[in-house]
Amino acid sequence: MPRVITYAEAVNEALRAEMLRDPEVILFGENVSSSWRPATKGLKETFGRERVRDAPITETAFIGAGVGAAVVGMRPVVELMLVDFGLVAMDQILNQMAKTTYMTGGEVNVPMVLRCIYGAGGGNAATHSETLTGLYAHMPGLKVAVPSNPYDAKGLLIAAIRDPNPVAFFEHRLLGRMEGEVPEELYIVPFGVANLVREGRDVTVVATGRMVQEAAKAADALKGEVSVEVIDPRTLVPLDEEAILRSVGKTGRLVAVDEDYERCGFTAEVAAVVAEKGFRSLKAPVARVANPNTPIPFNRNLERHVLPDADKIVRAIKSIVK
Amino acid sequence: MSLGISDERLLDLYRVMFRIRTFENGVKQLIDEGKCSHVSLSMGGEAVAAGVSAHLTAEDQIGSTHRPLGHLVAKGGDLRRMMAEIMAKSTGTNRGKGGPYHIFEKGVGALGANGIVGGSVPMCAGYALANQLRGNGAVAVSYFGEGASNQGGVQETLNLAACWSLPLVFVCENSSPEVQRMLGHEIDYPQLSIDNVGDRGATYGMPGATHDGWDVEKVYTVAGEAVDRARGGGGPSLLEFKIHRLDADEESQYCPVRCFRDRLMSRGVLTEALDAELRDAEVGRVMEAIDFAVGSPEPELIDAHVGVFVEDG
Repeated sequence: MPRVITYAEAVNEALRAEMLRDPEVILFGENVSSSWRPATKGLKETFGRERVRDAPITETAFIGAGVGAAVVGMRPVVELMLVDFGLVAMDQILNQMAKTTYMTGGEVNVPMVLRCIYGAGGGNAATHSETLTGLYAHMPGLKVAVPSNPYDAKGLLIAAIRDPNPVAFFEHRLLGRMEGEVPEELYIVPFGVANLVREGRDVTVVATGRMVQEAAKAADALKGEVSVEVIDPRTLVPLDEEAILRSVGKTGRLVAVDEDYERCGFTAEVAAVVAEKGFRSLKAPVARVANPNTPIPFNRNLERHVLPDADKIVRAIKSIVK
Repeated sequence: MSLGISDERLLDLYRVMFRIRTFENGVKQLIDEGKCSHVSLSMGGEAVAAGVSAHLTAEDQIGSTHRPLGHLVAKGGDLRRMMAEIMAKSTGTNRGKGGPYHIFEKGVGALGANGIVGGSVPMCAGYALANQLRGNGAVAVSYFGEGASNQGGVQETLNLAACWSLPLVFVCENSSPEVQRMLGHEIDYPQLSIDNVGDRGATYGMPGATHDGWDVEKVYTVAGEAVDRARGGGGPSLLEFKIHRLDADEESQYCPVRCFRDRLMSRGVLTEALDAELRDAEVGRVMEAIDFAVGSPEPELIDAHVGVFVEDG
């Protein structure tokens, strides 16, 4: 009987396993020792307050400390309580963490994981709800993982910790309680390999993070009417372009979905990849479902209004499948 | 002997200071001849670089600034590879892709220069954290200027280092002690609202003090205390050194190299003959570095695409 645990428990299991395997794996951030936070619960008790370390609320200092510890060969996992808070630390993230490997000509590298808790849907307004995956994916030198389910959360996090490059690892705040089958043993979900979530013939939906669930709901809602293929890239950098192009080659239609801002966001990147390399497969214009370039409003009705969901994905599919 | 420093050590300090000055004179000449891009030189700071690094081994790390050459030379940086990096050659420390603002040399713990004012300081907390967790007794030194001392990240890192009791020595080189403004930045308001950056140590719960940075014996002595404290598990310290940035190899009462030479001569530690011998050796090393850099190839265009990520495994 397969074991079912939550997304947060899967993250916890990956951290625990890697910390057991490698004494150079360390964890720090705001409140990582707290017992009420399921992704890190119990780790301090097992590994001690030296390796599982609460940091003062100073993102620049502790993310920079992660970069430094990685430069000298440790494997820091740094938690960014909310990805929005990382905006005060952009130099350490987008300059030092991302570029040091290249700038030093490979003299040093930065095997660091920045766990970014992200996402809207909780009524938390514009500075506690963002996605920002596009911002991170934009900067050369960062890998970006966006696990959409517990199985991927564990396998991708283990891969991220073992990766010699800096990885921004995006965990959606509303996925923490999502349940799924997760093997007890260690396994890796490799970066750059997309997951075929639903097979279909008429349209390809490329969705990331929590939007994978919404895309799957849309596919189910259209069953018997439109045959929808859902692709979860799992990692935005590196991106499994092959899987996307193969699917669009079959369906001839593309809907790109994510929770980030639409302008210059990941959905634009997917559309560009298909326009450049799969144009002749297209039977219809590309459609996108993303945040319509507004900050996240506090009011729940307004928030729902701007947040992508299954209904909006259904409408986008119908607009290009005649 | 002075302040308990042996003659041998005094001569070592002088040699390193003269090496830094000679290296930067060489760089200045290359700039003047149009053979390399602009480089921010550190003339006037030789005593700080030499006096601090004299207490460090290759296992200890430094993080530096956009005026890094003195710090890097004093830490044992390879003059040839550094000069090649300044000339953007493929044989440079960073394969010509980082330039002087980003020189890293892992083998000697030079980690590294930084193009962002205050950018290296949080990373130094990471070096120190790794030292603490590994229990290897190594110490990190974070160099920054008085301008950077106001950056949020620097102040955050002072706090973090104190909270975690990290083996980290903060070294602020205040290069505008009278005018309280950064060299070359003509502004109507001061950079600092206080006279001494060293005073900020107390507000973060660590020893902080201010000293003359052109006196290498003073630097050597107080840096030794701070490094020993960090190495012994006593936590971080903040040292501020007032220095005067020199635009060239000029005659100045604040020129650390000149002050120190005069002092060593008057004490009989240094003679004209010994000085000439020592200078010739350093000039020779720098000339060799320049020859190496000039004779090195440019990177291939394909190299622009290489190394954004390191290969897995």
